[in-house]
Amino acid sequence: MRLLLTAAFCLSLTPAFAGVEEVIEDHALPGTAAFAQAAAALDTAARADCTAPSLRPAYQKTFDAWLGIAHLSLGPLEEAGRGLTIGFWPDSRGMVGRTVAKLIADKDPAAQTPEGFAEVSVAGRGLFALERVLYDDALAGYAEGSYSCTLARAMTHDLAVLAREVDTEWREGFAQSLRSAGADGNTRFLSEREAVQALYTALSTGLEFIADQRLGRPMGTFDAPKPRVAEARRSGRSLRNVILSLEALRGLARSLSDAPIPQTEAAFAAALDKAEILDDPVFAGVADPVGRLRVEALQTLVSKISSAVAQEIAPALGVSVGFNATDGD
Amino acid sequence: MPSRRHFLAGLAALSLPRPSWADVGNPAFLAAAREPNGRYALFGLDPAGRDLFRIALPKRGHAATAHPTAPEAVAFARRPGRFALVIDCLSGSLRHQLDAPSGRHFYGHGAFLNGGEILATSENDIDSGTGRIGLWSRSRGYARIGEIPSGGVGPHEIRAWSDDILAVANGGIRTHPDRGREKLNLETMRPNLSYLKLDGTLLDQVELAPEWRQSSIRHLALAPDGQVAFAMQWQGAPGAAGPLLGLHRRGSRPVLAEADLVEQLAMDGYAGSVAYTAHGDAVGITSPRGGRLHVFDTEGQFKVAHRRADICGLAPGAEGFVATDGLGGLLRGDMAGLSPLGRADRAWDNHLVALGG
Repeated sequence: MRLLLTAAFCLSLTPAFAGVEEVIEDHALPGTAAFAQAAAALDTAARADCTAPSLRPAYQKTFDAWLGIAHLSLGPLEEAGRGLTIGFWPDSRGMVGRTVAKLIADKDPAAQTPEGFAEVSVAGRGLFALERVLYDDALAGYAEGSYSCTLARAMTHDLAVLAREVDTEWREGFAQSLRSAGADGNTRFLSEREAVQALYTALSTGLEFIADQRLGRPMGTFDAPKPRVAEARRSGRSLRNVILSLEALRGLARSLSDAPIPQTEAAFAAALDKAEILDDPVFAGVADPVGRLRVEALQTLVSKISSAVAQEIAPALGVSVGFNATDGD
Repeated sequence: MPSRRHFLAGLAALSLPRPSWADVGNPAFLAAAREPNGRYALFGLDPAGRDLFRIALPKRGHAATAHPTAPEAVAFARRPGRFALVIDCLSGSLRHQLDAPSGRHFYGHGAFLNGGEILATSENDIDSGTGRIGLWSRSRGYARIGEIPSGGVGPHEIRAWSDDILAVANGGIRTHPDRGREKLNLETMRPNLSYLKLDGTLLDQVELAPEWRQSSIRHLALAPDGQVAFAMQWQGAPGAAGPLLGLHRRGSRPVLAEADLVEQLAMDGYAGSVAYTAHGDAVGITSPRGGRLHVFDTEGQFKVAHRRADICGLAPGAEGFVATDGLGGLLRGDMAGLSPLGRADRAWDNHLVALGG
């Protein structure tokens, strides 16, 4: 590892920054546009009919689109806590369920106006709060005219606003910050390498998030698996989220790299093949040893993507993961 | 313990012209870094962040301690380190190597007391896993002159609270060098903040409520008025971290401080460094994992968050804070934001040490 890091730094003087433009044009901007469009459609659908069964298809499409950019935790998604507001997960303290239940129990008037709802705790906003309203058996039976209907409309509208802000800020501001990395007056990225480093960090952190959180959390320990903490299990999306995230991260890896990345491609293909045949949509299988082993096998394959990326992409770009962030002391 | 004889000898010595920090350009900061060729070095920086000197280190550093008057720094290896280096910052030469005694290793921080005569180092008694503070005499060529219990397990940063009282962050985590950095007691850990006299008297000890017993107290900063800020690292379930900053006045209960929910979660349960401003009117913690500087007032009220990837080193600046990061950035921080002071082609390591502060 030491040798590898040294090599990474030695190569840092090579002009390998072309990937930034490709990430912006081929990955980030199409992704934020698609998410904004899907969230706007969800908002429109909710205004026409707020009931859960009619909103679910648009909700699923919005979540799909979110996974195209959820890993871009730099820039507009980081500003004003938007990323966490849109996707409040993992939720170690069970805040989403409590916050939504309280909003409904109190008939909280915050849901009456967009400005009011924007002040609600992030645990009561975004895709995971909306998932409760649309999929929790105890909540989803609401009718037009009920408080939950108002709440569903508030949540969908709020999501549409957030998604539009993210898209606009990427197009009109942050893309240029990335492009002008190292230029005078760019205080966000002090060198070209910092922009590449930030995008690489999004890639490596995104892969870690799949392995450690999306797969690792429901796996729990061998003696104590935790199927009930699987991401978005109420909407049946846990495995789908893994697959779509892997596809999005593969897109990022391809855009970021100038050179062919055969090891990385092979590692993504192996993990995606495994995920496609897993046939365990919400990782309920982790509750028994055989099912848990199958999920663990997928987790191992995702970790292998991380290794491939670190060995193949990082040195070519002259970057590495955080010197201090990974030190832990 | 400083004897009267030592004290007089010290006074006599002061009358001779002796090298001082002015002789090396009055550096404002010391910081260790990894250089592009993979080597490690300790740098002295002026108040604007420009290099004043560079001294090669044999391995990755963690923190350094500056002698209060002589241009002499002690550089500590990353834990579990077996040695510390006393560096003559005038010549760049190695003046002494401190070897941990048999059965001990260093945890990466140290502090000078008694007018710079005594160096204290945080250490592990490997067999028992209890914390020790090693004591070394500068006038005797940094001979080891004793050790005292640290008041807990896994002492990390230590600071001279006064000239004869040491504040110790006992992180609570038991480690064994044979097992690297593996944490051996997460289920039972009880970190604390201890105030010790050099004869080993435990003057004060602060433990947190049971719900935060997995908040490892690891780094310390001192306000001019004696308030101690301690920065914590959460060892419990991911995402369940509580406050990462505590403020303590001796004789009072500590105040735990946290940001709003979004910002608190962004820190990822981890604070890497803590510092007050020079005026002591604000306190900051950094999280390299979250890429954040969080600023609080001295009552523990959250003020503002600033973002910067891999930010970790933090020290008081002429105004506000100065911070370093793993991308080579050196930044000025205040309520308004972080602005670049400079950028070097090196990865700054965990800590930025302010001199004369």
